[in-house]
Amino acid sequence: MRRLRAVLALVVGLVALERSAHANPPDTYGFGSRETAMGNAASADTRGFAANYYNPAALARSRGIELAVGYFGASHSMQINGLDTGVDPVKGINGGLVVPGRLFGVPFAFGLAVHLPNDRISRVRALRQEQPRWELYDNRNQRLFLAANVAFELFPWLEIGGGLSFMSSTRGRLDITGSANIFTPDDSQLRHEVDADLTAIRYPQAGIRVKLDERTSLAAVYRGEFQLSLDLGAHLAGDVSGLTTALYELETHSVNNFLPQQVVFGGSWLLSDDLRGSLDMTWMNWSAYVPPVAKLDVVLDIPPPAGGWPPSITPPQPVAPTRIEPLRMHDRMIPHLGIEWRAYRSRKVEAFVRAGYEYSKSPIEPQTGLTNYIDRDRHTLSWGFGGTVHHLARVVPASLSLDFHLSYSTLVEATTRKASAADFVGDYVAKGSFVNLGFTTTMAFDGPGGKGDK
Amino acid sequence: MKRLFATGFVVAACATTGADGDGDLHLPSVNVGPFRKLGNDEVPGIAPFVLDDRTAYYREPAALVDGADVLLFAVAKTPAGDVIVRSRANDGRAFFGTSSDSGRSPPVVLRPTEPWEGGVVSGPSAIRMGTDILLFYAAAGGIGVARSSDGGLGFAKVPGPILARDPAVAWETTQVTAPGIYALPDGSLRLLYASGRAIGEAVTTDGVRFTRRDADASTPAIDPVLGPGAPAAPGSLLPNEKPPFDTASVGDPCASVRITPAGRLHVRVLYTGRDEAGASAIGFAARYGDEGPLVRNRAPVYSVGQKEIAPAYVEVTGGAFLYVQQERRVNDTLFYNAIAAAFAPGTVKLPAPASYPDAP
Repeated sequence: MRRLRAVLALVVGLVALERSAHANPPDTYGFGSRETAMGNAASADTRGFAANYYNPAALARSRGIELAVGYFGASHSMQINGLDTGVDPVKGINGGLVVPGRLFGVPFAFGLAVHLPNDRISRVRALRQEQPRWELYDNRNQRLFLAANVAFELFPWLEIGGGLSFMSSTRGRLDITGSANIFTPDDSQLRHEVDADLTAIRYPQAGIRVKLDERTSLAAVYRGEFQLSLDLGAHLAGDVSGLTTALYELETHSVNNFLPQQVVFGGSWLLSDDLRGSLDMTWMNWSAYVPPVAKLDVVLDIPPPAGGWPPSITPPQPVAPTRIEPLRMHDRMIPHLGIEWRAYRSRKVEAFVRAGYEYSKSPIEPQTGLTNYIDRDRHTLSWGFGGTVHHLARVVPASLSLDFHLSYSTLVEATTRKASAADFVGDYVAKGSFVNLGFTTTMAFDGPGGKGDK
Repeated sequence: MKRLFATGFVVAACATTGADGDGDLHLPSVNVGPFRKLGNDEVPGIAPFVLDDRTAYYREPAALVDGADVLLFAVAKTPAGDVIVRSRANDGRAFFGTSSDSGRSPPVVLRPTEPWEGGVVSGPSAIRMGTDILLFYAAAGGIGVARSSDGGLGFAKVPGPILARDPAVAWETTQVTAPGIYALPDGSLRLLYASGRAIGEAVTTDGVRFTRRDADASTPAIDPVLGPGAPAAPGSLLPNEKPPFDTASVGDPCASVRITPAGRLHVRVLYTGRDEAGASAIGFAARYGDEGPLVRNRAPVYSVGQKEIAPAYVEVTGGAFLYVQQERRVNDTLFYNAIAAAFAPGTVKLPAPASYPDAP
């Protein structure tokens, strides 16, 4: 009972925190093969480097240095009207480390985790709001994830942890000055400067894990909101063929990637000596989503020449700002179920078989208006297996684990019917699926006589 | 062991380079724009013009797909008065008899011969009926129709007019003109037409006799399917935002039909919109189902400020062509009407134009 009260008190404290961070690729594809195979129902049972994502408090479970590295690839088949839209795959390295220790006699651990994509560290896209796109699968998952956390085991039954995730926002400016010759452009003389900043942004996250007894653990995790902004500016000033001057100022601001805050409640139960079940419920605050539409401010000043414009020249007109249509999204509760069966055990070797399921109802309202942020309800089935070899050698007090995962997600087909017959996009039928395949290998240096993490 | 892990990280990081992004293939579209005017390397002559002659003053195009080719009907000026000519392009862009196709000119397929025509033929609109081509046209006394059994080179007129102005219809303040014929999936024909400042619709059971159709059955009078657009409310426009383009009049309807992926009948209409200053642009209006008013998209699908009017539309593999009458300005004092072309989606770059066909 005391342990339950502690859970509730600390959950309230965690919810009061704001501005935590979380990463897109692990949201969608998982992080670590064991946890991914168990349907990402891992907040109460995660361990090692994966705890940096699922529950930082669980880092304190490690009793020796752990190093992990893995690779996964997720291939998409996202279709509109029966044709594949070519959503890019997400693939890359997942890895991390955990370094435990003691601070004033209190066990603690430091953890570091990274998802390093194959193709790009980050990608920003500023699309017209009318352009159809798979809003939760297209651009959001094309980025690096980097997190660092610390955890403490305050009591044998209570672990708390928290840390920072890292990303960078982009600010850029282009300056062009000089003289433009509109009749013979090759004679123009222009100078340009580009100034761009990738500014580091740090976001905290936090978790708690309570071991009720030897067979039952509960957990709560808070991951806060994250906005990746893209600010671009352009300045053009100069002379136009001696006829007039030109001044063009452009400022755009958009939120290119938005992660809603999340609260996870989870539990893990050892149903028998060899069978474990896990359940997580994740609340996602999608209703706070910021549409990724750029706000545009333009100043264009080209005074007409003294004698008026030549008939062959039509001066450009300034662009009107975009009427941004609101993107209405709904908060969602996402259930995750996981099961792990220890299929084999000996003094030195353990082998596991895992399975999981999660269901994510689409948070996006039907796109019957001008916008086309496409999404569908998603079911995910996952499987996996793995093994651990303890005490590799007398001189190497370490265990080596190798885990594999395979998950299949299906986005249920549904029809979008436009309210206006004069819409340029029109009705469409959308559905999708993706397959996520990967592995993780972990080396845990448990120390002489150690049993690894608890 | 640690060195092995470090090496593994470095090797993996160096093994691949970033790929170009994707995710915008095969995006849905109703395929009626916005249209991009063709560029110099997409047409054989001066872009965006595909049928031009400084004496013929080609105007008011109508287009029809003929296998892999595009047939283009247009009004042409002759010493004897306006006629309707026919041309062909293998690629939708290099039309027989245009000014750069030296020594050749499109043949005349229709001349004013009937008393009710008043010496005028204009506004062609063509449609296939089985192996025949029906050519609807406007004349002084209303709208007429002619039938061709030889692929559109020779036409026999149906005694007409098949539709004329009805003084009892309040909004028909001028003679009916600019026919836009289209067929429903069951093969029945519908005729859009312009009169005054609006566009109306008529139906037929035999392809010859047409009856007006009321767009709003809740009122006793016959209503047009599309009228001039409402002006912007005071203070409603954002800075630099353009006002509605069709507040003065709408006309020159060009209709096409499709079934949406949701299974709905979708009637799409391109039209000429004019504002109070007389500037014109091509607009898009549509409805779901075979009756009722059209709803408009507030943005034009083609607007280049060159007095573009009279849209004609054909769907081809990979997109759609829009043909319009547009002013071709040679210099400050020499300009004339010609047929210009545009393509949607605007992101598609067309290959170099084909050779001119050997025959129209």
